[in-house]
Amino acid sequence: MELFLLLSLPLLMAALVFAMPQDGLRKPVLLSTASIHLSATAALWQGPRDVHFNAFLGFDALSHLVLNIISILFFAVAVYLTGHLKEKRKRSNRILTGCLLCLLSAMTLVTMSRHMGLLWIAIAVTTLLSAPLINYYRTGASIEATWKYLLISSLGIALGLLGTLFLAVSATSLKTIFLEDILANAASLSPSWLKLSAIFLLVGYGTKMGLAPMHAWKPDAYGEAPAPVGALMSGALTGCAFLAVFRVAQICFHAHLQEFISPVFILLGVLSLGIAAVFIIGQKDFSRMLGYSSVEHMGILVLGLGLGGGAIWASLFHMVNNAFAKGLIFLAAGNLYRHFNTRKIEGIRGAIHTVPATGIFLVLGLLVITGFPPFGIFYSELLILKAALATGRYVVIFFYLLFLSVIFFGYARIILDMALGKPDNADVAAPKEDLFMVAPLVILALVLVFTGVFVPGPLYGLINEASALLGGG
Amino acid sequence: MWLELALIAIVFLGIVILGNSRLATTIQLFALQSFILSATPLLVHPGPHAVIMAIATVLLKVILMPSLLFWAIRHVSIRREDQPLVGYGKTLLLGGFLTAVAFLISSRLDLPVREASNLLVPSAFSIIMIGFLLLVSRLKAITQVIGYLVMENGIFLFALLLLEKTPLLVEMGILLDIFVGTLVMGIIINHINQEFGSANTANLTSLRD
Amino acid sequence: MGTGIVLHIGTIMILSPLLLGIIAKTKAFFAGRWGPPLLQAYYDIWKLFRKGNVYSTTTTWIFQAAPAVGLATVLVSSVLMPLGGLKAPLSFWGDILLFVCFYGLARFLTIIASLDTGSSFEGMGASREAVFSCLAEVVLFLDLIILALLSGKLVLSQMLKGDASSSWHLAGPAFLLMGLSYFMVLLAENARIPVDDPATHLELTMVHEVMVLDHSGWDLAYILYGSAVKLFVLGGVLVNVLVPSHGLSPSMQTGVFLGGMVLLALGIGVVESCMARLRLNRVPLLLIGAFVLALIGVLVVLLKGV
Repeated sequence: MELFLLLSLPLLMAALVFAMPQDGLRKPVLLSTASIHLSATAALWQGPRDVHFNAFLGFDALSHLVLNIISILFFAVAVYLTGHLKEKRKRSNRILTGCLLCLLSAMTLVTMSRHMGLLWIAIAVTTLLSAPLINYYRTGASIEATWKYLLISSLGIALGLLGTLFLAVSATSLKTIFLEDILANAASLSPSWLKLSAIFLLVGYGTKMGLAPMHAWKPDAYGEAPAPVGALMSGALTGCAFLAVFRVAQICFHAHLQEFISPVFILLGVLSLGIAAVFIIGQKDFSRMLGYSSVEHMGILVLGLGLGGGAIWASLFHMVNNAFAKGLIFLAAGNLYRHFNTRKIEGIRGAIHTVPATGIFLVLGLLVITGFPPFGIFYSELLILKAALATGRYVVIFFYLLFLSVIFFGYARIILDMALGKPDNADVAAPKEDLFMVAPLVILALVLVFTGVFVPGPLYGLINEASALLGGG
Repeated sequence: MWLELALIAIVFLGIVILGNSRLATTIQLFALQSFILSATPLLVHPGPHAVIMAIATVLLKVILMPSLLFWAIRHVSIRREDQPLVGYGKTLLLGGFLTAVAFLISSRLDLPVREASNLLVPSAFSIIMIGFLLLVSRLKAITQVIGYLVMENGIFLFALLLLEKTPLLVEMGILLDIFVGTLVMGIIINHINQEFGSANTANLTSLRD
Repeated sequence: MGTGIVLHIGTIMILSPLLLGIIAKTKAFFAGRWGPPLLQAYYDIWKLFRKGNVYSTTTTWIFQAAPAVGLATVLVSSVLMPLGGLKAPLSFWGDILLFVCFYGLARFLTIIASLDTGSSFEGMGASREAVFSCLAEVVLFLDLIILALLSGKLVLSQMLKGDASSSWHLAGPAFLLMGLSYFMVLLAENARIPVDDPATHLELTMVHEVMVLDHSGWDLAYILYGSAVKLFVLGGVLVNVLVPSHGLSPSMQTGVFLGGMVLLALGIGVVESCMARLRLNRVPLLLIGAFVLALIGVLVVLLKGV
């Protein structure tokens, strides 16, 4: 039953949406599907953590975690779109809503895949579905962003496929690449092929995550996509990609290749942080800045994976908080774009005065993202620092702190300018803030409080279980 | 012997694609290469699994995808790639060099799988590298897509090693995925044409920091 | 033994112009014409022999010596090649180097003879020829290396024995690649389309034709005859490799070889009819492509041998 609600229902609704002739009816379909998906996900909290529907599909603790992120974010985006799509647009929203629903199904499939080949297919499908979404506005810039995204991601995915094949070669004695089989027999995998496979899989799925040096598509894509799409991509899609990377780490750790793969993770993490730091300073476009911010946080995630131990817990905690914070900021940015009609930072001033609700949540989101206490990201970044200290990696600590400070500096200037600066001549004709476009901000902010500040027991336990998959605490 | 001839023919066609500047010809060469590729499962491990793979490959890669690509360039007036990033002579030499590298790497690799021919892995790697070279060294969007598709051909060749073990479902999924990818790329190329009047990605350089 | 030698030399000397006739007939057939008679090349050579020579005052002895020496080198190199069942009159270890260098010598003489005329027209042809032959010669060497690796010997007649073509199932891909790249070199060396147009006299399109523009009388006859023998010999190497004739009696092998030569001439005619001459800046691309193919052939042979 859950399989149907989570996987097949969105697909059916997508078909319905594609077939519908009028635009108006699509929003309720989107919203209702999102609600059903959310309730199904919530219902899963009751049941056991590890569920296997068949050999190909099943859940474990990590799947639950990412599925919750996807579901909540999608719901918030659906509410937002109900307001966003109200006004008459030149273009029909058929592709937008249809692709979004298919994307929901695909992302769910990523979380549920127990076969490495199926995981690859699901990730590839998410890439293909998100490309038309980026191109929603059909300007020259968005076409360019879409093309870069498509090409770089496809290249990464092809390398990921090669990595999956190498994995299958290393597992010839097993004859399958189901995750269970691989993890159980990890010691019997051919080490050289496994290492080769891990590298290729990391490059492939890392491209999807947006790790440097495969990040080139991120600022462009996040910069040109419409805000709800950006929210989904930066929160949910990155979560899915991180899940894939986590599975690679699982396989490596079980095969005792920790010493091999951890330095790679750390290198990728620090590199991403560095690139983000360099490009956030002096960034003129708000959405592009968010793209680089995403690169930064993905870097932190893999850095945690590489440091091991308590840092793994921190990574997962960070993933959850980052997803919702990014969602919050992107949706707020959508409101700002609607109001100020520009994405350039210098064009957006005094948001608190002109669009107060959005302005407050914008500031809140940016504070969370930069790592202010008492929010979750502060805690996870601190934990990672602690883990690095514990293992004595002083070089890593140095670069980590350096890049984080630079990024914070870059953000601070932007936040203060955008929120508290003097507004330009207030536009009388600018649209007022729509309830549907503020409600998701409230929802996400509440969620952030619960994932960051007052973490409920079940969530805590879930993250514990997920990090135990990698042997972390 | 037939398998090896087919593999060499595939590599040969890859080299010819590298040196070709006409868009329509590259699409046809790709179709021919995919056609020979579709015969390889039958030569490696004949059986119902292989027959299904062969038919699916012919349908998707020989008939549907080239038609899609031709549809995407139907409005393009310039059907030649005049200014690639790397000149054609250098591209050919690089292609030959990469093939040599691929052969070298494959001779060092120690395969736990029994392979049908010791030319299989080298030709797979060399086609992957040729496709990658095509992808990064060309400016016309269609040629970039063809580079990606040639890379996928190479990966398909490598997957032949595992023909008996991969579930049919997964292979079908992969093929379908590539097809849908090409579809989306074709649509975007259409948009590029409409917006910029040509399918030259040198126009797509406005987003930068 | 003696009859074998006479038969060998005689076959080459008598039959080579026939190849040109076959090619011309094939092209005519594709163009919907009847074309010149098969023996046209013989008539041309005979006609030229009966004419007198005209020498420009700017030329020196090089200009007069080059055609004769060129023909001599080609004829001597033909002695190194077996004709199917007919053994080569001369063979020794390392004779493939002599074989290739003979053609290098002939080319060198042609180039300096064309420069000797002092005309920029011929000089242009000479520079084009020099560039193309740089690339073509490398490919030729690589192809012969493939053959040497496959047969393990450096003697041309042993490399081309019937055994070579019977081992298709072992070394099929290498033969395919070698055949393809050698065919391209054949077209380049013998001034065929797509490298050069033997029937044109337009400045834009000539390479070989322009180098011999000033020759007349029996010098021109030597050149025409020499090009026919060159085509026969170089093509003969290819036919020896590709046409399977293992296990037949020597005379049958020779017969099969000659049949293969006819097929080769037909093939060249077809290629000439179906393609246009490449733009001059694209010809090096063709040769680089041939080089890459030969390189891959060497790699395949090395891989198999490992």
